[in-house]
This record gives sequence, C-alpha cells and structure tokens, in this order.
Amino acid sequence: MSPAVRTGISAGLLAVVVVLLFGNLSGVVLGLLAGAGAAILLDSRVEWPNRNAAIVGGATAGAVAGLLILVGQFIHDLFLMPLAGQPVATAPGSTLQAGLIAVVLAALAGAAVGAIVTQAERPRQLGLLGLLVAFVILFPFLDQQIQLGWTPTVISVLIYVVLALGLNIVVGYAGLLDLGYAAFFAIGAYTTGLLLSPQIGINWDHPLSFWLVIWIAAAVAGLFGLILGAPTLPLRGDYLAIVTLGFGEIVPIVFRNLTRVEIKEPFTGTCLIGCDKAINLTGGEAGINPISHPWLPLVGQFRTGQDLPWYFLIVAIIALTIFLISRLRNSRLGRAWTAMREDELAASSMGIDIVRTKLLAFAMGATFSGFGGAFFASYISAIFPGVFDFSVSVIILCMVILGGLGNITGVILGGLIIMMSDRLFLPQLATLVKNILNTSVLPTIADPAMKDFVATSVDPSQFRLLLFGLTLVIMMLVRPEGLIPNVRRRAEFHEAEAGAEATVATEAKAPAK
Amino acid sequence: MATTSPTVRTGSALPRWARNLALTLLILYIVLLVGPIAGLDAPRIWQSIAAEPKTLVQVALVGLANGSIIAIIALGYTLVYGIIELINFAHADVFMLTAFMSLTVLGAIGVDQKSSSGQIFVGVLVALVVAVLFGALLNASIERLAYRRLRNAPRLAPLISAIGVSFILQNLGLFWGGLRIIFPVMGVNAAAPKTFPQLLPEGILFQDGPIIFRQKDLIIILASVAFMIALRLFVQYTRLGKAMRATAQNRDAAKIMGINVDTVIAFTFLLGGGLAGVAGLLVGLYNGTIVFNMGLTAGLRAFTAAVLGGIGNITGAMLGGFLIGLLAAFSDVYFSSRWTNAWVFAILVVILIFRPLGLLGEAGGEKA
Amino acid sequence: MSAQVPSIPSNGSVNGNVLLEAKGVTKRFGGLVAVNNVDFTITQGQIASVIGPNGAGKTTFFNMITGIYTPTEGTLTFNGSSIAGLKPNQITAAGIGRTFQNIRLFANMTALENVLVGMHTRLKAGLAPILLQTPAVVHEEVRARERALQLLDYVGLGRRIAPAAARNLSYGDQRRLEVARALATEPKLLLLDEPTAGMNPLETAGMTTFIRRLRDELGLTILLIEHDMLVVMGISDRVSVLDHGTKIAEGTPREVQSSPQVIEAYLGQGGAEEKLAQMKERSHARTA
Repeated sequence: MSPAVRTGISAGLLAVVVVLLFGNLSGVVLGLLAGAGAAILLDSRVEWPNRNAAIVGGATAGAVAGLLILVGQFIHDLFLMPLAGQPVATAPGSTLQAGLIAVVLAALAGAAVGAIVTQAERPRQLGLLGLLVAFVILFPFLDQQIQLGWTPTVISVLIYVVLALGLNIVVGYAGLLDLGYAAFFAIGAYTTGLLLSPQIGINWDHPLSFWLVIWIAAAVAGLFGLILGAPTLPLRGDYLAIVTLGFGEIVPIVFRNLTRVEIKEPFTGTCLIGCDKAINLTGGEAGINPISHPWLPLVGQFRTGQDLPWYFLIVAIIALTIFLISRLRNSRLGRAWTAMREDELAASSMGIDIVRTKLLAFAMGATFSGFGGAFFASYISAIFPGVFDFSVSVIILCMVILGGLGNITGVILGGLIIMMSDRLFLPQLATLVKNILNTSVLPTIADPAMKDFVATSVDPSQFRLLLFGLTLVIMMLVRPEGLIPNVRRRAEFHEAEAGAEATVATEAKAPAK
Repeated sequence: MATTSPTVRTGSALPRWARNLALTLLILYIVLLVGPIAGLDAPRIWQSIAAEPKTLVQVALVGLANGSIIAIIALGYTLVYGIIELINFAHADVFMLTAFMSLTVLGAIGVDQKSSSGQIFVGVLVALVVAVLFGALLNASIERLAYRRLRNAPRLAPLISAIGVSFILQNLGLFWGGLRIIFPVMGVNAAAPKTFPQLLPEGILFQDGPIIFRQKDLIIILASVAFMIALRLFVQYTRLGKAMRATAQNRDAAKIMGINVDTVIAFTFLLGGGLAGVAGLLVGLYNGTIVFNMGLTAGLRAFTAAVLGGIGNITGAMLGGFLIGLLAAFSDVYFSSRWTNAWVFAILVVILIFRPLGLLGEAGGEKA
Repeated sequence: MSAQVPSIPSNGSVNGNVLLEAKGVTKRFGGLVAVNNVDFTITQGQIASVIGPNGAGKTTFFNMITGIYTPTEGTLTFNGSSIAGLKPNQITAAGIGRTFQNIRLFANMTALENVLVGMHTRLKAGLAPILLQTPAVVHEEVRARERALQLLDYVGLGRRIAPAAARNLSYGDQRRLEVARALATEPKLLLLDEPTAGMNPLETAGMTTFIRRLRDELGLTILLIEHDMLVVMGISDRVSVLDHGTKIAEGTPREVQSSPQVIEAYLGQGGAEEKLAQMKERSHARTA
C-alpha cells in the first residue's frame, strides 16, 4: 500500500468517527480537515521528488480520506439512523451527493497542501498559515451554510484553548504543576462580571467598555497569581500542586458566599465597606447576571445568539495570546523558564533567580486566564460559581498534556481534541447511543431488571471523568512529550543536520549520557 | 583582606525575626479585617462561647471524632510521601471507593439497624476486612500500573499520573453508585449521596446540656486510635517497618543494604490503602452518607493535616488530623459551615509560609 | 578552528590581587564534617587547583563558593565582598562562572540557547519591553545571539552547531558547550569541576591547552577541581590538597608532589613511590 493511501486512511478514520456521529454535511468540514491533515502527515513521511508528485500524492491521500468519509456517510444514513429510530428522509442520492462533495473537497485540500509543502521554507510556512487562516475565517460561514450548528460550541471550546495556552506557560515552559487554574479563570470572569454589570452599582445605562475591562480582568487574575505564588513558589514543587488545588477549591466557595460583605475596622469599629446595607458582591449561587457585551464600530453591539462577532473576537484573542506567548518564549525570560524546568540547579548557577522566574511564569499564566475569563463572562452574559470547579482545571491540564507540553501547536491541537470531544462528540455520542438503545436494543430485552441496567449504565456521557483520567495516565506512561513533540526543535535539528552534519554525526563517538 | 560589607546581598535590612513578626501582624490584621465576612467575628464568637461554654466541649468532641478519621486518611498520604515523595492524589479516591465497597458488603450481607447486635458486629467486621483488603490491593495496583514506571521520570510525571488516577477512580465511584440493579443499596440516582445503614450504637454515654457523647463517638475515636497505635508499633518494631523507614531515609543506601525497595514501596501502598479502607468504613458508619466526589474535600483536609503535622511524620499526621478536625468543627459551629473549607485551606497556606516542615517536622537538612 | 577572541570585559585589576579568599571555611552535615576549617586564596590571573581523593570535600568546597551550600562557619570573600550565604544566581551575577562534574547542560535546548541562558544576568530585557518588542530589546537580542555564536566559535564548536540540541552533541562537545555557557556569564573567576572527566588522553590534552588559553587570552582566573593529577600538575600555578575535609598541603605543583602527606593521602601506601615517579616523569614531559 502506498504511503499516500496509508496516511489517507489514518486521517480518514479519525474523520469517520465524527461523520458517523453527525452525518449529513459534517463530511464537508471533516473532508477539508482530513484532506489537509492527510497531506501534512504524508509530507512528514515522504521525500518529494518534485512538486507534481507532491500534489498528486496529497490529492490521493485526501481522496482516500474523502472516500472513507463517503462510506461513513452511508453507514450513518442507511444503518445508524434507522437503528436510532430516525430514518433519514432524504434519498440515497443526497447521501451520495454529500459524500462526493467530501471526497472532492478532501482531494482539493490535499492537493493544495501538497503544492504548498514543496515550496521553500518561507513561502511554505506562509502558505500553510494562509490555509489555516482561510479555514478559520471560512468556518463559521460554512457552518451556517450547511447548518451544522457547531459555531457556539466551537466558541466555548476556543475559550478553553486560550486557557490551555496560558496554563502551558506554567506547566509546559516553567514545569510548575498548577491544579487550580480554573480559579484564575473564575477571578477573571468575576472581575468582568462585577465591572460590566449593575452588581456593585455601576450605572447599567453607561457600562464600562469591555475593551478596558478585559485588560483589568487579566491584570487582576495576574495579581492573584502573584499573591498565591509568592509564599508557595519558594517551596518544593509538590506543595505548589496542593496549594493550587486548594485554591481552586476555595475560590468558588468564596464567590458562592460573598453575598453579605461588610467590613469594619477591627479596633475602632468604624465601618469601611457596606455600611448602610451589606453588599451582595457575587450574587451567591445565582451568580451575576446580566453582563454587558462588547461594542465595536461597524459591528455594533455584540448580541447573544449572533455568534459571528464572538467567534472572531475569540479567534483574535487566541491570535494575540499566541503572538505574546511566542515573544515571551523566544526571549530572555522564555529561555530562563525552559532552563529552569530542565535543570533548576544549573539554571540557578547560570544566574537565573529561580523564585522570581517561577513567580513570573505563574503570574503570566494567571494573566492569560484572565483574558479567557473576561470573554467567557461577557459571552455567556452570566456567571455562576458552579462552572469553575476542579474538573475544569483538570480538563485544561489534559489539553496541555495531550498536545505536548511547551508546544503551542500541540497545546492548541490537544485543546481542540479534548474540548471538541467533551462538548460536541461525547454528548452527540450519548444521544445516538440512547436513541439506538431506545429503538433497537431495549425492546428486545425481556428481563425488566436487565432492561433497567442497560438503560442506566450504558451512557457515554457518564464516562467523562474516566476519559480525562485515562488521558493523563496513558500520556504520562506512554508518550509524556505529547502528541506533537516540540516541532520547532525538530525543525531546528533538521536545519542542523543539513549544515552541521559533519560535526554532529561524526563526533558522536562518546554516547551522550 | 577584611570582609567588607556585602554589596551583592539583596533583600531588606530588617533581621529575619522582625520581618516575620511584621508579616504575622499584617496577616493577623487582615484576618481581623476581612475575617467577619467568613464568619470570624471575634466579639460574636466570644459572646456565644460565654453564653454557653458547654457547646465548646461538644464542638471539641465532634472535632475529635472527625479528626480521627481525617488522621487515618492523612496517614496514607504521609506514608507514601515519606517513601517516594509523591503526593498520591488518588489516595482520597481510594478512600471513597472503600466506602462504596463497605456499603456494598453491608448491603450484600443484609444487616441494617434492625439486625441484632451480634449480626451487626459480624457484618461490620466482614465489611472492615473486605474494605481494608480492597483498599490495599487497589492502592498497590495503582502504584504498580500508574506510578512505578515513572519513578525516575521528571517529578511532574507521577503527580500528573496521580491526578489522572484520581479522576478514573471518581468515575468508577460514579458508575458503581449507578449499579442499583446489582447493588440495591445504591439507591436510584448514581451521583446522589448514598445512605449508610445506622449500625453504630447511638446510646448516650454522657449528657450535660448541649454536650452529648454517644457510644458511636467513642467507638470511632477508639477504633482510629487503635489503628494508629498499631501502625506506629508496626513501623517502629517490625522488620518490614524498619525497611520502610530505611527506604524513606535513603533509597539508594537501603538498596545497598539488601532491602528490596520495590517491595517496600508496594507494601507502603498496601498499608496506606488498607488504612483508607478503615477510614472509608468509619466515615460511612459515622456520617451516614457517602458520595462519589467526597474524596476531594476529604483529601484536601487530610493532606493539610499531614502537612500541618510534618509530612512524612506518622505522629505528625495523627496530630494534624485531630487539629484539623477540631478546627473544622469549631468553624462549622462558630464561624460558618459554608466557610469551613476556606479556613482549612487558609491554615494550609499559613503553615506553608511559616513552618513548611510542619509542627513535628525536623528542621535542618538543606535543600540541595 | 577560527578563534576570534570574544571580548570579556576585564575588571581592570592588575594580576596579583586576591580575587577569592576563603577563611576558616567549614561545612557540617549533621555530625559529619565535610569541609573543615579550610583557608584558601586565589589571585587574579592564576590557575589554581583543588585536588584530593574521593570524598575529600572538594565538591562541597566548590558548592560553597558557588552558593549551593552555605558555609557553617568561616568567610568567603570575592572581589572584596562577602559571598557566603548568597544564592547561586547572585554569585554568578557577582562574577563567578562554573561548569559541572557530571555535565548539566539544558539537554533539550539548542547549543545556542544554552549559551544565551548563560547571558541571563548580563541581559536587561524585562517583561513589558519583551511583550512590546521595544527596539532596545530587539537590539540586545541580536547582539546577544552574535556574541553567543562567537563564544561557540571560541570554544571550538563552531557556529554551525548552534541549532543542534545539546543532548545530541558528543561528550567532548558537551564539555566545550558547558565552558561556553559559563563564559557567557562573563565571569571574573571560572570554576571548572573535573573538566577532563571521562575524556581520552587526546581530548584531555586538548582541554588542558584550552584551559591555559582561557587564562592567557581572556585574562580569566581559573579554579579547577581535578581527579587527574597529570592535568593539574601540568597547568596549575598553585595546588591545594584536601583530604577528609582538611587542607593538608598547598603550594606549587612541584612542592605538593613531594609532600609526604599528599603521597600518603592521595596514593595510599603501597606502591606510592613508584606511581609518583611515573607521574613526575610524564608531567615533566608535558610542561617541557
């Protein structure tokens, strides 16, 4: 089997899982992704003799992936749907049509990638980036067109991607385990909630600007990072893990209970805050609601239900985050973080102040979660203490670890995989399984106890925590460097091979320890 | 050349004790200022204690009973940390699962409050044995599967793995709680708290106003203390116990002296898991309800107890457990039960700032 | 190898000034005395060595100078200021650079990045300027990279090695990279912990020449810990011998070699004379 077919099959199989769940025109989106993915995968395994070979190879890989999607469409429409008691009204012809569109799009995407990867280094990077940007920009329109309805979910997934990028500074770059990252997310969100709502008496008719508040939220979250990190970071790393875990537990409790705030000077008894009437700062369990939306010239007021502006806003926040983080990464500070993670003693002997450097990483991570929190509060237009619990922190940790510690591309990919699974695929799978059980399985079971058992126990959404837990354990045991090991470093090494092959290869007489 | 005054030295000119004192006063002031929001309203608390001082005694009794259970869980953390310097995040979830196991066994045997005391005794004993064995084997398997291979990996790796195991176990608890067909004791809703049969004798031993001391309080405290003493003696005097202490001191040296370190570590996990089994049964019997996510809070309290006493120190874990139990009971009654977890956490941070080695941790020994 | 000498700013002192002085330095671990009441001085421009059998306290002594341990007693004065009790990073900032006995490079960073990490204290860029990429930061980064490449050249690795991950370098190259990284901290005093450990005779000879070049061309003062007597005898101006934590001899290599205590401590009793004769012969051949 040629490599093109093989990579096409691997990419196609992944896509089919999704197509089996969603059916219909989801193959269009998946076709584009699988086609491009197959071609990129292929490129990493094959040396191309010339550009035409690459285009043909990419197109082949894409087409194979597309064909699998087409098969998936048929299985979904002709087999799964009737089993779930929802026979598809459309004729087989329309299934074929949707499948063929997927094949064509996948092949085109594969060919485009093939054409781009054979360029010289710089146009190659620009080209791939261009493809990505084009897809990101087109996605919500495409989604609207084929009525898939993924955009709102994708927006909430992307919020988590921002958080994962922030946590990556702490865990991936500096090697500090932060188990309470959701707390900083909550602090950013509540800061935004307080400043963009009438909660603490800010005039609702003339609210503050979102564009100002998002910076304040980030700064406040960063400040809390400093306050929490300063006493704990000089201690051993394990203590940081447990303190952040505790902090993550406590912050929601605090927000839940700050409903009667009244502060008196303890010795004189003079009232300082909440004198006339105790202030209801956080709204308790009911949270803060409503929270105002951003406004932009040309776009106007952002509204709930109109997803396009929100989508592009969160994409812009991610772009800004990546931009800032890569500046940090390639600076004196970023190098200090990595050095510290690799060998604390050696780093300290090279003049790096360990505690300061850790504190900076910890606070920077917290700051970026503030951006995420601000967007979240304004987008949902309401915040409750319940959405910031421990599992959120662990999900974000999963995202960082799955993709590859310290690698921006990996973290984004890992984040998309985890969150899309959690928010989109798993619920859809649960619905599908439930429908299949109800229409096709349960009627065949006679024993009522057994029936009850199957109905209550076979529920994929029950196994969320298990999946996250397994992800963490398996990744640590099998592939601690993540799905995508540091690409930048690999690229650099390829460069080195070309130039310094003589030095590196021939002098490798003593094995490096 | 005379030593001139250091020019490179950074930091304030204040001596260390003065800085610590200033920091302490500052923190105290902030606590007094903001504390009332979280229920720490000194005048009010003073009044209610003055009005009915006996309540304080009752609070202490409740604190001791809960503290003894916290202490047993804390021992599991401290044993493992002492040996391999790993915060075994999964420990509290092992504890949770053993509580589920106890309930399952009791349900299968079919004892409830109406059974004769002989039946109850046998039932509880069987549940104890099963829970201890289950906890021990589960904990040791976790070590074998999820930690052993990571023993020489970067420190982050086993910690992350432990978090993962903790989540897996929580999910198992959730699933277990949903198996009402197989275990009717689990009730209808998978995620809902499960009701434990009231098997401990409720007879009142002593009553004076608000002070009520029941037989079950005494049983819990005695049982916990007995297990703790047994553990202490075991570690102090048996061959395996000595091997554990040697491994904790210096793993390489222990290896050279012919100690099979793998066995010792596995055994430590067995021991910790067994103790978690004891705690699981006791919590169910004493509190009357268990729930699949109870490990998180219990774990945080127990870990705080272990750190408070000096992590790695067995006596310290017991002391810490009782202190945290007392604090929690005091906070529940006099501060506000909603804020109790926050106060426990505050204690954790304060200890880490001022005495990271804990109350009984030995000072000295530089961090290299 | 093209050897462009990177400019390491000299502090303008004349040779002969005391650069590092240890007085009555003692380190106890519990009941164990690892280093006992050691006096030691090194003057500007010297190559000095500390030798001694395994467990003699050499590395503990080194670790006190570099701030990893705080002396239990005694004073450490560097360039006129007390450094006892400072953290390693403060000591590096003060002008003491070091390498490690068992190479401690940042294995997954590139050779270039390793050297750049060494420049940490000499670069100024702070958080906000980095995020804004102010012209000063960009300029500083460009200059730092150029200097790092020069250093790679200087230690004989060459610029082309810059993008290779440190762990992929050969053992000898890793040692050189560690020296480059230490030079990047712009030290006045360079501490080398067994720089020839694990090297074959040819590599050892190369390293010895290189150490002398560091002193002669860069004006560095160098303190060596060595196990290999031959290396020490060949290049040291002054040798101090530690045994069981105590300094038992000090002087020129020749003086030390003829000290009976040293012979006994270092070589044991049996066959000492024979080994010593052999050693002398070879070290003469080398210095000649």
